[in-house]
Amino acid sequence: MRAPRTLSSVAAGALLLTACSGGESVDTGGGGGGGGENVLVAAVSAQPDQLDPHVTSAYPSFQVLENVYDTLVVPNAEDLTMEPSLATGWETSEDGLTWTFTLRDDVTFHDGSEFDAADVVYSYNRIIDEQLNNAYRFATVESVEAVDPQTVEIRVTQPTPNLPALIGGFKGMAILPEGAADQVDLTTEAIGTGPFQLESSDAGSTVLTAYEDYWGGAPTVDGVEFRYITEPAAALTALQNGEVDWTDNIPPQQVSALESEEGVELQSIPSVDYWYMTMNYDRPPFDNRDVRRAVATAVDRAAVTEAARFEAAQPNQTAIPEDNFYASDYAPFDTNQDAARQLLEQSGVPLPIEMGLMVTDEFPETVTAAQVIASQLEPIGINVNVETLDFATWLDREAQGDFDAFMLGWLGNIDPFDYYHAQHITDGSSNYQGYSNPEVDRLLNEAATETDEDARRDLYNQAVQLIVDDVSYLYLYNPNVVQAWTPGLTGYQIRPDKAINFETVELP
Amino acid sequence: MTGQPYPEPAASPTATEAGREPSLRPARPRWRETLGLLARNPTAAGAATVLVLVALVAVFDQQLAPEGPNEISVEDRLQPPSTEHWFGTDDLGRDVLSRIILGASVSLRVGFTAVGIALVVGTLIGLLAGYYGKWVDDVLMRFMDVIFAFPAVLLAIAVLAVRGPGPTNTAIAIAVVYVPIFARVTRASVLGVREEVYVRASRSVGASDLRLLTRHILPNAAPPIIVQTSISLAFAVLAEAALSFLGLGTQPPNPSWGLMLAEGRGYIELAWWIAFFPGMAIFLVVLCFNLLGDGLRDVLDPRQRTAMGGGR
Repeated sequence: MRAPRTLSSVAAGALLLTACSGGESVDTGGGGGGGGENVLVAAVSAQPDQLDPHVTSAYPSFQVLENVYDTLVVPNAEDLTMEPSLATGWETSEDGLTWTFTLRDDVTFHDGSEFDAADVVYSYNRIIDEQLNNAYRFATVESVEAVDPQTVEIRVTQPTPNLPALIGGFKGMAILPEGAADQVDLTTEAIGTGPFQLESSDAGSTVLTAYEDYWGGAPTVDGVEFRYITEPAAALTALQNGEVDWTDNIPPQQVSALESEEGVELQSIPSVDYWYMTMNYDRPPFDNRDVRRAVATAVDRAAVTEAARFEAAQPNQTAIPEDNFYASDYAPFDTNQDAARQLLEQSGVPLPIEMGLMVTDEFPETVTAAQVIASQLEPIGINVNVETLDFATWLDREAQGDFDAFMLGWLGNIDPFDYYHAQHITDGSSNYQGYSNPEVDRLLNEAATETDEDARRDLYNQAVQLIVDDVSYLYLYNPNVVQAWTPGLTGYQIRPDKAINFETVELP
Repeated sequence: MTGQPYPEPAASPTATEAGREPSLRPARPRWRETLGLLARNPTAAGAATVLVLVALVAVFDQQLAPEGPNEISVEDRLQPPSTEHWFGTDDLGRDVLSRIILGASVSLRVGFTAVGIALVVGTLIGLLAGYYGKWVDDVLMRFMDVIFAFPAVLLAIAVLAVRGPGPTNTAIAIAVVYVPIFARVTRASVLGVREEVYVRASRSVGASDLRLLTRHILPNAAPPIIVQTSISLAFAVLAEAALSFLGLGTQPPNPSWGLMLAEGRGYIELAWWIAFFPGMAIFLVVLCFNLLGDGLRDVLDPRQRTAMGGGR
C-alpha cells in the first residue's frame, strides 16, 4: 500500500493549483450539472492529481474514480469481505494455484463497447508489464489469460488466499477497455464501466454525469460535482449553508458538537487506517530493545489519540481495528513512567537520550501527536526534538533511513497482509525502520499462503505479538471515517475503507 | 547625486584655530533633550512604557510564567479563560498566558537580533556608499537594489528554505530583508550631511575619513536611522510571527506568537482565546514600536524640534 503516503504529496500540489486559480473556479461547475436540480455536490479537500487509476495513488483521485470505474470484485460495505462486481463468481483449484473468474455478460463501457475477458487481461497486464504502482499486488501472479469472453484464469506461483482482496481492494485495480491507454489520455479522460462518466475535471471541480446503461441500473442522481474546499471549516460552512450536499472534510474538533446538530447529518465509524510511530534500528540507542520498550511503556496512547483526533479515534496497541476478524486483543503496555525508567536503566544507555521525531505538516495530527509524545518521554530522560518537515523531504529522509524516529499512518488496509507484511518482514518494501526477526519472517510468509482463515488469523496474531513486543512499530490509534451530509439525503452508506459511492444516493 | 565629485577643499582663509574642530555639532546632552521631548509626547511615552514592560516580561519570563511552555495535559484542553488559566488553555491543555509570556522573549529576541544585524550591516553599507560615492556607491547600492527588488516575506522564505527553519535562521532571514532599507536610509542621510560646512571644515584641517565618518557624519545622519530602527522592529516582530505562522520560524513545541496564532486558527470557532491573545500580543508590540517610531521622528526632526521646544 503505497497509496496512503503519496496521496498527500499530490494533494499538496493540488492545493496550490486550486489556490492559484480560485478566481476562475466560480462557475466552472455550473455547466457540468446540466442545469438539473438532481446533481449531488460533494465538497472534497483536494483536486485529483490525475485520473489514470493504475498510476495515481492520491485519495482525491480515488474519490472520483470510485464512481467511474469497476473492479472484478469489491469489498462489502460492512465488513470489507469480497463480493462479486464485474465478476459474478470465482473458483480456486485444489492446489490453490489457479483462480477462475466468471464475468458478467451485460456490461458496457462508457464509450459503448462491450466488456469481456480481453479487457481484464489487458488491464492486469498493463499494471504488471509497466510495473505500475500496484504491480506488487500481482507479486505471486504468473499469468492472466482469457479462457473465453466470459472467463478469466489467473495462475499464481504459490497459494494466494487474499487474491480477491488484492485485485478488488480499491479502484487502483480498475478494468479499462482493451487498448485504452493507446487511444485516449487516461490522465485526463476516463472510460470505465461505473455508474458515472467523467464530464470534466479542472482546477475548480470535477463533474460526473450518470451513465444510464450502467450494469447495476441507472444511478438515482443525474450527476455528481466534486468541489475542492481545502479548509475544513469552509467545507463545513458550505454544508451548513446548503451549498454542498456531502463532505468528508470536517474539523476533528467539531465532530462531537456536530453529532447533535440538527442541520447536519454526521457519521463517524471506525476506519481501516492506523497511525504509528517507529524508531530506527540502525541508529543507536534505538537499536536497543529495552529503549524501544521504554518508549512504548511511557507513551500514553489515550492522550495521544485524544489530542490528535478528539473522540474520533480508538487507541490500539496493534494495527487492526478491534471489530475486524483479524484483530488481535494483544495489549501488553500499560502507560507507566516508573516501569519505563526501569527499562531505560536496564538498557544501560546513558541518559538523557536525544531523539529526533520526524513529522510532517502535511498531516497536522502528526505534529500534534508528536508534541504529546515529547511531553511524555521527557520525564523518563528522552529529549524529543520534534522535526516538522514538508512531506517531500520527509519521504526522502524516510527512504534514506535518515531519522531517529518518525510518525505516520497506513491508510486503506483491507487484508492483514496489507497491515503487517511489507512493514515488518526483513527487507520489506515498507520496512524503513530496519526490523528483522526470523520468527516474524516465518510467520508472515506462512500466513501469506495459508488458505484456512482461522489458521491464518492465528499465524498473524503470533506475528503481531512479536512485532509489538519488539516495538517494530509503536501502534497508536485507529481513526474514524468521518463524513457529513445534508439531512434527508438517503441511499448513501459510509464505509470503513473510505470508498465513496454515490450511485444510489437520493437528494432530499 | 551619485558619483558627484567633492568640491576641492580650497585653502580657505576663513579657517581659524587650526587643529580644533569647529563646534557646530550639537553639544553632549542632546540625547537627554530628546528623551525630555519624547516624555512630553504622551503617545510615544505610552508606547515606550509598554515596550519596556514587554521587555521586562521577556527578560523575567521564567519567573513570571505560571506554567512551563510545554506542560501538556490533554484532559485540560480548550478551557476558556478563568482565574486558574487567565488566557485559557490550548488544544493540548497548555496555559496560553504562560506560552505568551515565554513567546515574548522569542519574538523580541528574533526582532532585536534581526534589526541589530540589519542596522550594523545596512548602516555600514549606506555610510560607505554615501560618503565615497562614485563606483563604491554604484556597486553597493545596485546590490542593495537587487535584494530590495524581492518581496520581503518571499525573500525571507527563500532564505529559510535554504538555511532551514529555526529562530536563528529566522533572524538572519529578516535581517537580509532589512539591510537594503537601512543602507538606503543611511546613504540618503549621509549625502545631505557630507556637504555641510562643518564636515568640509573638518576635512580642510586634515581629519581622516574614519574620523569624519564616526565623529561628524554618522552622529548627524543618525536621526532617520533611529526612527527606521524603531519602525523596523515593528516589522521584524510581525515578520517573525508571519514566518512562524507559515511553519518556517519557531518550531513546535516551542512557543512563538505567530505559531500560536497558526495553531489557534483551526479552533477559532470553538476556542477563540487560543488565537486571540497571541494576536493581541503581536498587535500591541507592533503598534507600540510604530508609535514610538513616529514619536522619535517628530522629536528628532530639527524643525519639529524647534516648534515643540518653542511651545514650552
